[in-house]
Amino acid sequence: MRRILAWLDDRVDLVGIRRVLLDRKMPSELTWWHTLGSATLTVFTVQVVTGIVLAMSYSASPDHAYDSILYLQQHVLSGALVRGLHHWGASAMVVLVMAHMIRVFTMGSYKYPREVNWLLGVGLFFIVMGFGFTGYLLPWDQKAYWATQVGTNIAGTTPVVGETLVKLLRGGTQLGAATLARFYALHVLLLPVLLVSVVLVHLTLVVRQGIAPRAHVLEKNAPARTTDPAYPAYYEETYAASKGEGVPFWPNIIAKDLIVATGVILVLLLLAHFKGAGLEPPADPTDTSYVPRPEWYFLPFYQLLKLVPGSMEAAVAAGLPALMVLVLLMLPFFDKRSKRMLAHRPVARLALFGVLGASAFLIGASVRDEPPAVPPEVGHPLNSVQRAGRALFKAQQCGSCHAVAGVSTPDKNSDVPDAPDLTDIGLHHSASWMHSFLEDPSRFHTDSKMPAFGPPTLSHEEIEEISQYLATLRGPHGDAKEPQFVDTFPEPKKLQEHP
Amino acid sequence: MVPEGRGPQPEGVVDVSEKPNDTNEDGAAGTPVGRRTFLRRVSGVGAAISAAMVGIPVLRAFASPTLVHKTSDTWIKVADDIALLDVGVPVRVNFVQTLQDAWVETRALNGVWLYTDDGEKFKAYNGHCTHLGCSYVYDKDRKDFFCPCHHGQFDVKTGAVLAGPPPRPLDELPVEIRDSAVYVQYADYRLGVPEKIEA
Repeated sequence: MRRILAWLDDRVDLVGIRRVLLDRKMPSELTWWHTLGSATLTVFTVQVVTGIVLAMSYSASPDHAYDSILYLQQHVLSGALVRGLHHWGASAMVVLVMAHMIRVFTMGSYKYPREVNWLLGVGLFFIVMGFGFTGYLLPWDQKAYWATQVGTNIAGTTPVVGETLVKLLRGGTQLGAATLARFYALHVLLLPVLLVSVVLVHLTLVVRQGIAPRAHVLEKNAPARTTDPAYPAYYEETYAASKGEGVPFWPNIIAKDLIVATGVILVLLLLAHFKGAGLEPPADPTDTSYVPRPEWYFLPFYQLLKLVPGSMEAAVAAGLPALMVLVLLMLPFFDKRSKRMLAHRPVARLALFGVLGASAFLIGASVRDEPPAVPPEVGHPLNSVQRAGRALFKAQQCGSCHAVAGVSTPDKNSDVPDAPDLTDIGLHHSASWMHSFLEDPSRFHTDSKMPAFGPPTLSHEEIEEISQYLATLRGPHGDAKEPQFVDTFPEPKKLQEHP
Repeated sequence: MVPEGRGPQPEGVVDVSEKPNDTNEDGAAGTPVGRRTFLRRVSGVGAAISAAMVGIPVLRAFASPTLVHKTSDTWIKVADDIALLDVGVPVRVNFVQTLQDAWVETRALNGVWLYTDDGEKFKAYNGHCTHLGCSYVYDKDRKDFFCPCHHGQFDVKTGAVLAGPPPRPLDELPVEIRDSAVYVQYADYRLGVPEKIEA
């Protein structure tokens, strides 16, 4: 072993690598906030590993995407858990990237000489948002479909290039098969390559430039501006002194990083286990009642568009993200004062708290606006028969008389105002009772206003599909409440004599 | 600005192991476990736990095909009640079979012929002629199975070839009676060959 190591050292300079990567001294007094970058990298690793396994049970076509996710959840061991990790990992990525950016901003670490690494970081932030946007569509459920519909429509309001942009995003004019394949390719091919490349440069710069010393250390006796010819010399001196008092990266800093990483993964695992990734009914482009909502980290932007008057919408929809990119990219170039502590940077303080406060307010408003979430079906996804029934329920316009929470709201001018609410019909009647009733309601109530759906209107198979679907309607109770059937059947009709 | 790790370093040392010059104040002699050692252990434990928390579910999902033994029930109910089946006259039963290939569901229309001598013991034959797969029929006059495509004839009781080109007897399928309903384990076999090989 020793000989192999010695040989390797001779050829690739292990000691040198070790000195550069592990033994490098870090400035003194690094905080726990300094672990956010490595925590992001850890979660990205989780995303890569879980993503590979997810891709093994995924089909990027509208015909099969939803079923492949169901298959993963139900038939692959730990499939639901792995998907849960990936789902919550995505949110964690966004949270950690933002927290890391806020840390760097607050401590003024983006200033001389780390401007380039700030730019790369901003790039990484947008790549992560790209991952979120493209990954969201892949399950091809209602939420995925409609959120992407809205997202791509927002891009479409961009002046001049809007239409081209939509076609580029969707792979055509409509959101469909081409969009799904396109998003999948971006999500698993382009974005990972892009992210890994930029991360490598980002980390190389971290190793070469080292971590910025604490803000108060770098402020003492500093020239007022980083553009001052004396500043580089001042910086080198202070930095060397700070490192002199510092600790080696391994094991002091790595231990801290790993404690945080373990904690983050534990949280992800708990969320994945107890909350899972969720799956709504399959995407239904004909559903006009669905209220689309984007993932939480797009909510501030989404809510802002609601508050903006129509005439301004295009300007805000296209202008705000563009402005955001511009401000983030230009930040190290217009902020050249050498002050790094937030206490000494009133404008930065105001901007930070302004953006954070506004985002929190908008997310809050958006959550309050959220329609009450009454799960229209039992907690678990529908099988193919029930899904067929659901489609028939819509096609037959059942919802124009009957209310079902979250699925249909009857026409107020309907001439049958007393049509029963079907929100929890599955708790009161069995599928077989509903089958007989649907065939000929007048057998049950002679004055029933409901039309008979028996053949030839619908076939027995179709009636059975609707009945199976209706049996899943259990209001807000889901599987929690046992159904209490009150199925009374009418006297059997006299069999008609066949001629 | 001087890049990291380019400063003056002692040359010619081929020691890849931990450097002994631990300058940390906590690592002073006397403490049973020095600070560096403690931090190294924390790192090791943290890395191991993290790897396990993600690795175990991921590897389990990856190895899922080798761990899950699918006990798929290929038995198909072809008749609700044996009492309703004629004795001595075969009946053809068609059914839709749902085939599941991972998340892709396909449906196939298949059929079997059921035959009983005594109302207790049943025989089931795959509905395809063993010659080229045509659907054969029951010839009421001759009381045998007759394939209209190339005039093959089979015995109703045994499935044996009576005449024509079929290379082997009709493919008999396993039959089970559960609560007086008839179940058949459906399978298709390779056509046009003398051996009965599952297709």
